[in-house]
Amino acid sequence: MNRLSINPDYCKGCLICVDACPGKAIGASDRVNPKGYTLPAERDMQQCNGCKLCEIVCPDFAIAVEIEEEKS
Amino acid sequence: MTRHPMLKYLKEKGPAGPRMPTIMCPGCGAGQVLNYTLHAVDEIIHNDGTRKEDFVFISGVGCSARLTSHYLNFDSGWTIHGRSLPIATGALLANPSLKIVVFTGDGDAMAIGGNHFIHTCRRNLDVTILCINNGLYGMTGGQVAPTTPTGTATATTPYGNMEEAFDLCKMAETSGASYVARWTTAHPRQTIKSIKKGIGKKGTAFIEILSQCPIHMKTPPVEMLRDFKANTVSINKSRGHGEDKILIGEFCHMERPEWTEKYQKILEQFD
Repeated sequence: MNRLSINPDYCKGCLICVDACPGKAIGASDRVNPKGYTLPAERDMQQCNGCKLCEIVCPDFAIAVEIEEEKS
Repeated sequence: MTRHPMLKYLKEKGPAGPRMPTIMCPGCGAGQVLNYTLHAVDEIIHNDGTRKEDFVFISGVGCSARLTSHYLNFDSGWTIHGRSLPIATGALLANPSLKIVVFTGDGDAMAIGGNHFIHTCRRNLDVTILCINNGLYGMTGGQVAPTTPTGTATATTPYGNMEEAFDLCKMAETSGASYVARWTTAHPRQTIKSIKKGIGKKGTAFIEILSQCPIHMKTPPVEMLRDFKANTVSINKSRGHGEDKILIGEFCHMERPEWTEKYQKILEQFD
């Protein structure tokens, strides 16, 4: 399963990644960073197809997707 | 922890301490355009064998201008208001092999720097102009700009803007740019493809990217991106209907002689 990594220092809580995700794998969380911005979090990573759209649309370079290598 | 792949092109620390997170407001489209540009540049560096040193990023003054020398780990210049294109011209004449990318806002390109913009397109200089159009003067407090759509309420037009907005793509096309396209921040893949095409194009490439200013428009960024998707129509699909919507797509893609090439031919006469 793919993993999501969010940098709480860089994230400004705009949640564009949540809206951009085609499979709704990301959701808003209850976590808040020291500046008071709501952080996104993994919601249902089974739905992640590895399109990396969240990485591309992030204005603050705060989110990254770790694609799991398929075991052959 | 996995880090964002584009952070390798950014300066996270400067002499005065950490530079990230960026100075942009939450959900600003300028950060997204920087991300798209770096994705395009990354693909060019990996596929075409272009070196990182061949790129030069130049900007003027405004929100969009903050993208260059503050954060980019490339050769870059943060220059005077509206005059980013003359400085790009100078850099290009000094070294015509450079790939010059100019970040400019709508105010920087079309309000104060309109004349420079027209003449860069007329000469067809080999620069890629990325115009981040948020439809108002964001850095100074959200005042009305020449690109504000009719009826939009801004800080200086509280009852709605009564003027017609400037069509930047038509202006670039009629001035003589080789490649003209318009996208929005809600079209990431298309924008990246377009920026790649623009950087590869010999001649002026003008790409207008409609962007959101969630602070001055007083709308959440996600809602503004949904509006961009709903209110735009591709030029290939419009064909007479959907005229009330904003046209997006490639408006012009043609071959015209480039300035530095013509200049080189004149120099060769004297060898």
